[in-house]
Amino acid sequence: MNESNSLHWSFDYNHGSQKPDFAQELIQLLHEYIDNSSNADLNKDVGKHYCRQTYQILPNFWRGYVRQNNPEGTSYIGKVVVERQKHNGDTWKYNVHYQNSTNGEDIRLHFCCRDDDYRSLHESWNVEVNNSCVDQYSRLRCEGYFYKDTEIRLRYNDIEITVATLDDTLPITCRWALFDVIPKISEEIKKSAESLNIQLLDDLEQYRPKNTVGYLETIESPIPLDGYYLHGIGALPSYWWVDANNNVAIVSSVFETLVLRETVGDCP
Amino acid sequence: MSDRPNILFINTDQHSWDAISAYGNRYLQTPNIDLLHRNGTSFSKSYCSDPVCAAARSSWATGLYTSETGVLFNGGHLHANIPDIGQVLRASGYRVFHCGKWHVPGRDVRESFDTLYYGRHNIGAGGAAFFDSASTHAVADFLTNYDGKEPFYLQIGYIDPHDVCEYLHNHEEKRIPNPIEQGILTEDDLPPLPENFHYDERETVLHRVCKRIDNQLIHEKIKKAVRNWDELHWRYLKWSYYRFIEKVDAEIGKVLSLLKQTSFCDRTLIVFSADHGESCGSHQLFQKFDLYEESVRVPFIVSCLGDEVDVGKDHMNETHFVSGVDLFPTVCDYADIEIPASCQGMSIKPIVEGKETAWREYAYVESNYWGRAVVTDEYKYVTEYKPKEVEDFIPPGPNSDRLGLVQLFSKQDDPWEKRNLAEQPEYQEVINSCRDKLLSQESQLNRQPITHKGPQNVISNWGRHLREYWENEI
Repeated sequence: MNESNSLHWSFDYNHGSQKPDFAQELIQLLHEYIDNSSNADLNKDVGKHYCRQTYQILPNFWRGYVRQNNPEGTSYIGKVVVERQKHNGDTWKYNVHYQNSTNGEDIRLHFCCRDDDYRSLHESWNVEVNNSCVDQYSRLRCEGYFYKDTEIRLRYNDIEITVATLDDTLPITCRWALFDVIPKISEEIKKSAESLNIQLLDDLEQYRPKNTVGYLETIESPIPLDGYYLHGIGALPSYWWVDANNNVAIVSSVFETLVLRETVGDCP
Repeated sequence: MSDRPNILFINTDQHSWDAISAYGNRYLQTPNIDLLHRNGTSFSKSYCSDPVCAAARSSWATGLYTSETGVLFNGGHLHANIPDIGQVLRASGYRVFHCGKWHVPGRDVRESFDTLYYGRHNIGAGGAAFFDSASTHAVADFLTNYDGKEPFYLQIGYIDPHDVCEYLHNHEEKRIPNPIEQGILTEDDLPPLPENFHYDERETVLHRVCKRIDNQLIHEKIKKAVRNWDELHWRYLKWSYYRFIEKVDAEIGKVLSLLKQTSFCDRTLIVFSADHGESCGSHQLFQKFDLYEESVRVPFIVSCLGDEVDVGKDHMNETHFVSGVDLFPTVCDYADIEIPASCQGMSIKPIVEGKETAWREYAYVESNYWGRAVVTDEYKYVTEYKPKEVEDFIPPGPNSDRLGLVQLFSKQDDPWEKRNLAEQPEYQEVINSCRDKLLSQESQLNRQPITHKGPQNVISNWGRHLREYWENEI
């Protein structure tokens, strides 16, 4: 724990005299989230089996980021909305919208997962990317699917590639489904002290063959949180912090920290 | 369709030569770079021209050493009168494209290339987590749309594993527990400490002032942080570095998979290299900016996934010294363009095709403006120029009177560079011979004065610190 600002090392990115102050912004976002979560109006028109969470993206370091139209005293570089709805009783449909003003990409991901603990990726999916930079690349569409339940294939325009042959001993999920997976399996891995292995299709395009999820520790400040880690082949450790309401409140990776702003609906 | 091949230059950033699984490293998995190796020729004696991003990249772009380009450190400025690879290829009828990191200060990449993707602001150091996947998206868009009527040259500048620098910066102002304390890894998961973690302190003044002393010139804050590291922290640095490499390998994999499905794959030459390496704990150093092997030795693979470009397959060339300055003339040669007479690099096309050709007997490397190295089959010779009393901003050399301290390592007996032989009288002849090679190489370089104020200020400031050390400590 950093004594000067009470942040856990895994999401403490205060750097010297940097302005705006990372810790102050992160703590303020968390407190706004807690205040908002007691607002019943947010859920009054929402049916069961629907959930939408919005995260602000904070920059972990002091340089290389682009911010757009930020209010004074804020450093965030974008946001991500993770929306999911139960479908036909045994499937969850996810719509994820990731906006990051630093690299200019606006990404929308649409995918389905089974209603199991690992939110196993199911059927087909697609990715829509729009790029606002001035260069030639302005948009990209990618469609993905399972071929014979053993391969992952992606199609860009008319070109199709095989990106992975699956390990049938491990569940396959997507990074954005982990916002549901980690709360679901948290009690089990916390109690057993054992880590679990999964396969990831990061952002629905990049296959990570073997990733490990385990319990890290529990902290009380700035709010009570249980921490979990995730790492594996091609993946530096990221740290996932789950709050008392079983929502992922903070995700910290090498270059960005996601902080929960709002939860609408009944999260799985 | 043109007879000339397409040329795809894929580069990673801060990627040491030995960090590839096909070369025997069992602590990481790089199946896609391995694929390039299996379909091409790798060079084991491959050296960057200068172990820092902008400097090394200025050599890629021009075929010149950094004393000539004017980019002798990250804040340098490419001389305006030097043509770059994009301009030369475009003038010969190639479609020239750039994607990702460029980092050749003084030259606007958008003037020399059509840019597929170059970020919201010019991509510099750091940010692979954001920019590398966007670069792959841009290349996917290109490869699935290109009509193939004209030959193309496409260079993709991936940033990883350079994000290991951000990993290091992250330690500057907080203590991060080692992974065993965190409980996320076991000792068995970690690579061992580098063989040369402990080192010979008889180093050049330039190296000490830049990387060793209190208030060193480069990344003092990181050095202070790593002083408190235990062995597991250093091993975790290496573990983390390898994960960054696996990450960029996966990006490369998607590009290769898409290329394989195109109609022009068979006639696309692929060159893979890195601007410089990463010390990763060797000699208790981090990052680059030094002349040890981990920092200056980089991958260089010439490959083709099809069979219409003549390249030796699955071959490790352990004979020829290759340098970053060789990219430009090699690309010119494959593109059937006359290599500019001023070019210091040599085309490696004949070597890749298995033909006999006259070749250099050593690699020449520059570093931090005053640092120099000559690498032969038998020895590595490292030295420095003393800063001038009155700086004229002409890069130093060749001038034997101004040479400073020397490090000499035996390549056969001491590949980890742990014992400096320079003070042993029996090696004086070796030192003389290496010095002659250095001066001979430098006599061929065309140095122009550094005229921009920013680089001049860096040279003046660093020179002052070096002079003080020479006066007070030597």
